[in-house]
Amino acid sequence: MAKPAIGCEPLVGSLVPSKKRDYKVTNKLQEGKRPLYAVAFNFIDSRYFNVFATVGGNRATVYQCLEGGVIAALQSYVDEDKDESFYTVSWACNAGGIPFLVAGGINGIIRVIDVSNEKLHKSFVGHGDSINEIRTQPLKPSLVVSASKDESVRLWNVDTGICILIFAGAGGHRNEVLSVDFHPSDIYRIASCGMDNTVKIWSMKEFWTYVEKSFTWTDLPSKFPTKYVQFPVFIASVHSNYVDCNRWLGDFVLSKSVDNEIVLWEPKMKEQSPGEGTADILQKYPVPECDIWFIKFSCDFHYNAAAIGNREGKIYVWELQSSPPVLIARLSHAQSKSPIRQTAMSFDGSTILSCCEDGAIWRWDAVPTS
Amino acid sequence: MVSKASDSSSKLRKSHAEQSGDGVGNLLYKLNQLKKQIQAERIVSIKEKLEKNKRKIESDVSHLFSTTSRRNVTYTQENGFSNMPLCKYSGFSQGLGDKEYANCHEVVFSISTKLPYMEKIPPYTTWIFLDKNQRMAEDQSVVGRRRIYYDQHGSEALICSDSEEDIVEPEEEKHEFTDAEDRIIWMAFQEHGLGEEVINIVSQFTGVATSEIQERYNILKEKDNDKDLKDSGDSGYEVGISLDKTLSAALDSFDNLFCRRCLLFDCRLHGCSQTLINPCEKQSYWSEYEDERKPCSDHCYLQLRTVQDVLEGSTINVSERKKDTNEGSAVPSDAEEPGADNDTDLIPDGRSNSEKVLSITSEAGHSSVVAIRALNTDTSTIQTVGKRKALQPTEEELNELIQVSDDLQNSSSKKQKKLLPLDVITASSDAVSSMDAKSSCHIGASSDRDLQMITEDSKSESIEHVSEKFTSSSSVLHDKVEPNIRGEAKDVTYEPELQQTSSKVEGSSEWKPIEKELYSKGVEIFGRNSCLIARNLLSGLKTCIEVSSYMREGGSSIPHKTVAASSFLEEHRKADTDYTEQEMPTRPRLLRRRGRTRKLKYSWKSAGHPSIWKRIADGKNQSCKQYTPCGCQSMCGKQCPCLHNGTCCEKYCGCSKSCKNRFRGCHCAKSQCRSRQCPCFAAGRECDPDVCRNCWVSCGDGSLGEPPKRGDGQCGNMRLLLRQQQRILLAKSDVAGWGAFLKNSVNKNDYLGEYTGELISHREADKRGKIYDRANSSFLFDLNDQFVLDAYRKGDKLKFANHSSNPNCYAKVMLVAGDNRVGIFAKEHIEASEELFYDYRYGPDQAPAWARKPESSKRDDASVPQGRAKKHQSH
Repeated sequence: MAKPAIGCEPLVGSLVPSKKRDYKVTNKLQEGKRPLYAVAFNFIDSRYFNVFATVGGNRATVYQCLEGGVIAALQSYVDEDKDESFYTVSWACNAGGIPFLVAGGINGIIRVIDVSNEKLHKSFVGHGDSINEIRTQPLKPSLVVSASKDESVRLWNVDTGICILIFAGAGGHRNEVLSVDFHPSDIYRIASCGMDNTVKIWSMKEFWTYVEKSFTWTDLPSKFPTKYVQFPVFIASVHSNYVDCNRWLGDFVLSKSVDNEIVLWEPKMKEQSPGEGTADILQKYPVPECDIWFIKFSCDFHYNAAAIGNREGKIYVWELQSSPPVLIARLSHAQSKSPIRQTAMSFDGSTILSCCEDGAIWRWDAVPTS
Repeated sequence: MVSKASDSSSKLRKSHAEQSGDGVGNLLYKLNQLKKQIQAERIVSIKEKLEKNKRKIESDVSHLFSTTSRRNVTYTQENGFSNMPLCKYSGFSQGLGDKEYANCHEVVFSISTKLPYMEKIPPYTTWIFLDKNQRMAEDQSVVGRRRIYYDQHGSEALICSDSEEDIVEPEEEKHEFTDAEDRIIWMAFQEHGLGEEVINIVSQFTGVATSEIQERYNILKEKDNDKDLKDSGDSGYEVGISLDKTLSAALDSFDNLFCRRCLLFDCRLHGCSQTLINPCEKQSYWSEYEDERKPCSDHCYLQLRTVQDVLEGSTINVSERKKDTNEGSAVPSDAEEPGADNDTDLIPDGRSNSEKVLSITSEAGHSSVVAIRALNTDTSTIQTVGKRKALQPTEEELNELIQVSDDLQNSSSKKQKKLLPLDVITASSDAVSSMDAKSSCHIGASSDRDLQMITEDSKSESIEHVSEKFTSSSSVLHDKVEPNIRGEAKDVTYEPELQQTSSKVEGSSEWKPIEKELYSKGVEIFGRNSCLIARNLLSGLKTCIEVSSYMREGGSSIPHKTVAASSFLEEHRKADTDYTEQEMPTRPRLLRRRGRTRKLKYSWKSAGHPSIWKRIADGKNQSCKQYTPCGCQSMCGKQCPCLHNGTCCEKYCGCSKSCKNRFRGCHCAKSQCRSRQCPCFAAGRECDPDVCRNCWVSCGDGSLGEPPKRGDGQCGNMRLLLRQQQRILLAKSDVAGWGAFLKNSVNKNDYLGEYTGELISHREADKRGKIYDRANSSFLFDLNDQFVLDAYRKGDKLKFANHSSNPNCYAKVMLVAGDNRVGIFAKEHIEASEELFYDYRYGPDQAPAWARKPESSKRDDASVPQGRAKKHQSH
């Protein structure tokens, strides 16, 4: 990438760990040999903040983090299609607060599992290709978005089983969409990124009536007037390669490509001309040996820290909101060699889970400071 | 910051000459100082931003947390998980160090809930339905964009900048100046002057080209000046409402955005900023006889004239009576005189009256001309009074005149008879001088006709002789009179205007410039028809009465002819200059990305290289030609771009209808244009009701009035135009991937639907073809010499019809209203719910291996094993 112009330089974090917090391995589980692509804590329901799920192969598993490094396996789900390979998982719930587990993968079918009754709630067929990420709207947890290889992002109501909106078309992604995220407070806003090297910010404000309609829809879901959102409100070209993970940090966006760093930038939109604007790169969080794609980072509930694994099985924990960025800790273990596809930070950041290419789940707990 | 610098700048510049020796070193030092300062400020600003954002996140998170816990309160524990975990795996309570051995727990799934098998659908890329082709938007081009692929079997992400023949050269892009750079430039030039050395140093320092820096400094200076102006309180500049804009400004966007071929705004097919083509044959003004016109509204000027209806009725009486006199009375020969004599008698009543009366005479002669009507429209309340006065004598005179003519007949004096009509005519021509030339001609004509009647009716030889002379003399007289009249006409028309302006000031509201311009456009389009102008162009702005009075006052003095002429010229000039430009911008500017996007330009060396990707081509070997309307005036010569491109001129061309290069359409009577006997059909064109003689289109149920049926049956060669298509269903193919199916059965050669897509250039298609070949799925269709249709992201269901070497459909490129479009037709009778196939007609070298197999599909990627290898480690 070109050298940033004077006055636009980002603040780059130092890789010297601050030792603010120290983490130690407290458990390691082996879920077969197939790679695990996703792990996620339940941030939807405060009763289950210590419950997490993993997916890999045709299996989705629900665990619980207990005291003293104990992990309890609660539930396990297996897709009858052996060729299914789940890539992503997210927690959601219906209007009644019943927790749902939403998973998707190579088959392009979204599986909505009712975990309180341990049965499949619904399956959504519609995506034309594999699903790379599913995220839940925290303010309305029965809404999920899915990012797919079919170049679209789709908004679903998991409760009523409706595909509400399709973010694709004239201004849409031009290759696989790899990641998507809901804005934490602006309920209309999502950001998506993918193999076309761009991050696109979309607004569903004009289509909100359809979102509302989806909650009360009683007819067949296929009869719902699904709308296309063809034009994003902002397109950022902050990376020059696949962008495989993006998350909102307040009104800023964290995104990563295969450039060994996470980038924090501010979308500066031009009100008069939607789609145009500039991205002001504010900070960079270096992550060494992180040059393969499909490595996703995670934040704790308060967005204080982000944890990201790398190709060599190490985890970097960055303090997100300090300026310049502070590396909280660098987690490594002699036996952790396999690429870490995704991490999960617990509600307060005291527990970090990582799921690896070799099918292992590592649990790291913060060492209480004396 | 800037202001501080400018304060000291004047002082510094004075001493600049002396300081120039150490000035450069000084400058570098200052620049570095400034840079440091800017960077320090940047750090502070980032911190501030993050701090602000942090506060926002805190409130967001606390809100989020409350929603998660509220859920807890509202709903009871019963929704939760069963309290029986499947298994517990104890951890290392003290935690492990880096070197300690992590005892791994193998997770054993004693019970797993089965997720029932769900059949997945064939893969596809999300696409947008198009009911008509669209030209590719600029930002959708893959040409010059770096694209990264991953090897399906290997493990690396590859960077593929296409192939070797493309040399990557970074596009010269205008530098976007940041605030900091602006400050540096400002400081440097304000303090050290605009010396070359200074510019070079700044250029080196910022890494921006010198020319751009200089340019930027000028912009900054202007901005600074503007700021000073604003500071001095001179902010009287306000953007007004659209009505204050000029029409040409408003029309500019109209001309840019309105597609005259599709008759809609922001046409995605022909693009915005199209070359304006003005037909050299202007359509004649809207001609509707005033008498047949109904008042357009309550504010119609015709309403004002209701008073006159009585008068008009009386005029009719006059003419009727005239007829009576012709038939009934013994003296038909003098029937022409009443009208003429009227005028003579009326002259004393005043000019304005005579003008009116003349129009009446012309009505009486059953000859109303647009020009006269225009004068009629000027009638106002004041004049009606006069008119009534004028008319009453007319009637009286009529009776008298009959008597006079009686006397005339009785008199045997030839001389007298010869003289009298001459007098009459001179008199009338005097009166006529208050009218425009045309009407006088008509009077002449009518009097001639009447005189001929005399000749017929009169039995006596002498009279015949006289009248012969008379006709000739009168016609001579008319010839003489006419030029005079023309000369006078101008003065006369202005006179009443002056009167009107003085008398009608209170009635007319103020006319804004745009309204005036709209008015003159209206005159250009509709002629002097206030009803149509008010309704179509000044709706909600001006009433018909206002328009009509304006027309009389000053509107006519607006030289709309010259306006039209000049605009025409301008447009024509524009058309000429635009002609060289073939590519038009297709998308509103707001979608165009600029700036940060990395653009790379590839040199195009491989224009003729054989592409390995497949294209669907319609059977013909020679490809169709893209039609672009020509702007030729009158006949097309050798310069005509249509001729040059090898296309026919179409109705959208500027050239005359009799242009030799025009396609004349067909005259088919009974064939319904379904065979090659129809010239349209034979030429691969659809019939056009505007061009073909017997091809008509009926509208609705006919209650709105149908055009006269000229042929026997409805033309069968307008099916794309009229979208007479079949219902196509999309389902999993019996062969591979998706397939298109037919809902109802059809017969041979029935039209099934259009293959729509994005119109892309051949160059673009070459690039995209390579990308699509990697994904093993292509939806390209060779359309004509300029464009390829790509249905990959935009199209309709027919794009899913599979290839077959023994197909039941065929594709044909048709020229429909100037556009090449792809129709899919039945090759044979097809039963309902059958799958549709057509031959993609791969060239022998173009077809990929799988396509050479019989009965293969264009998409067999479902069978390709899709591993997740792509995500793997690169070494």
